[in-house]
Amino acid sequence: MGKFSYVLKNTLVNMRRTPLLVFATIIAVLISSFLVFTTLSARSIVQNNTLRWQNGIHVVVFLDDRVTTTAHKQLQTSLESYPEVRTVDYFSKPEAEEEFKNLFRDQPELLAEVDYEILPASLRVNLNDPSNYELITERLEGNPAVKEIRSSGEAIERLLSLTDTLVISASAFALLIGFAAFILIINTLRLAAYSKKKEIKIMRLIGASSTYIRLPFIIEAVIESLIGTSIAVGFGWALIEYSKSSVVADSIFDITISDDYLIFLTISLLMSSIIFGLFASFVGIRKALND
Amino acid sequence: MISLKNVSLVFQGGSVAISNISTEIKEGEFVYLVGHSGSGKSSFMKLLYKEYIATKGEIEVANIDVSNLPRWKTPLLRRKIGIVTQEPQLLESRNTFENISFALEIMGNLPEEIETKTNTLLDLVELNDCAFKYPGQLSGGEQTRAIIARALANNPVVLLCDEPTGNLDPDLSIQIISLLEKINRAGTTVLMATHDSSIVNRRKKRIIELKDGKVKRDELNGSYVVR
Ligand SMILES: Nc1ncnc2c1ncn2[C@@H]1O[C@H](COP(=O)(O)OP(=O)(O)OP(=O)(O)O)[C@@H](O)[C@H]1O
Ligand SMILES: [Mg+2]
Repeated sequence: MGKFSYVLKNTLVNMRRTPLLVFATIIAVLISSFLVFTTLSARSIVQNNTLRWQNGIHVVVFLDDRVTTTAHKQLQTSLESYPEVRTVDYFSKPEAEEEFKNLFRDQPELLAEVDYEILPASLRVNLNDPSNYELITERLEGNPAVKEIRSSGEAIERLLSLTDTLVISASAFALLIGFAAFILIINTLRLAAYSKKKEIKIMRLIGASSTYIRLPFIIEAVIESLIGTSIAVGFGWALIEYSKSSVVADSIFDITISDDYLIFLTISLLMSSIIFGLFASFVGIRKALND
Repeated sequence: MISLKNVSLVFQGGSVAISNISTEIKEGEFVYLVGHSGSGKSSFMKLLYKEYIATKGEIEVANIDVSNLPRWKTPLLRRKIGIVTQEPQLLESRNTFENISFALEIMGNLPEEIETKTNTLLDLVELNDCAFKYPGQLSGGEQTRAIIARALANNPVVLLCDEPTGNLDPDLSIQIISLLEKINRAGTTVLMATHDSSIVNRRKKRIIELKDGKVKRDELNGSYVVR
């Protein structure tokens, strides 16, 4: 007990001796953890969205306004007969209007200006394999009942590759800043050990174990790293909450990320930051106490 | 208590500090280790608490086989030895009381124990009046006594003092010697290094004289004359 309070007291004394370095270290860990947290969250959000799209409508076939009911029924039947098609749903003009109104309910100026007559009826096609969207385009080429064909496939592919690029470059950046944090921790510890050179020498003479001598430094590194990561994770959660309520989220993109994933991410990051602190202090003290 | 068999210490670069020494110091003895500067007194002491590792030979201290003691067990050896080094070792940022209680603190004593033990030690070295003074406010003799008190904090069976009277005038030196003798009478084996012949001769104790890393002379009730 007496030992433990000594260790804690010394950790705090060390940290107070080099406030700027401690601050810089925490900031570096913070930025690095924040990057990891936000990019991984963003990736998960994109994945959730594409999953949703992939389970949903893959190809939308907009129908010409002059098309008769029999013609569209015929088209629907032939679409349903294709092996790559799972389901086909008819979406009428009034339904399209309803959907549009719902989608832009927050923008009354826009709603007031729109001529709902231009919104076409459509057939919404769900495919067994979403990557086969081009087949449908080919099959319906030149069909007079069809006004336009849109597929989500291309957009999804582009978005996914964009996300991957984002994740890779952010990870590289996080790694770089993580390395800076590592160097900072080593330097902080070295300074602290240097300023306590005599004390450490006396401790050795008296017979303090080397673990005991190291403990305040190890705890210092772990505390710094944990503080940085905790703040980063806090910011991350706040950012996600904020974007959930923002306008962008409402229309184009759904900010869906499972709490389970966020908790998993948080715990993993906190654990990593402890391991990071332990490792950095291990290297730092070896250099500082040279033994 | 302390035993050396054919012990040598050769530094990298070839300078020989200790050359084939064999000797024994029994429990409860008071021994002066004398010799000119550079004769190997400090090296001898440092071998005993494994600050230096013998190049050759066997060392045993307080029933611990020092020569074959793994590095990580060095602290166990040092907990049995009180060490007063040649270089002054007080922390400037702590007062006398704290400098002494520091040793008790890091050995995991309880706060109440630390308080009473430190006061007992202050009594022993007669520094009660200086308890709240900082090292800079202490005389040389007072500093030495504070260091001795700290070395005694964890009840060592052996006390090693390297030139504790190094910078003190004769009167103060006698004070320190008397203190060490008092500690010795209480049962602690004491080994003290010095080149101060004026004190040593009058005390009628065992004297081991080193020269060029060898034992030149070893006599009970000896006297030491600088030649
Ligand atoms: N770390 C070291 N590296 C190399 N040589 C050393 C080292 N320590 C001591 N020596 C050498 O070993 C010899 C004995 O030194 P030591 O310090 O034991 O002498 P001493 O008797 O304590 O002298 P003094 O009375 O001046 O304290 C000297 O020649 C010294 O130069
Ligand atoms: Mg010496």
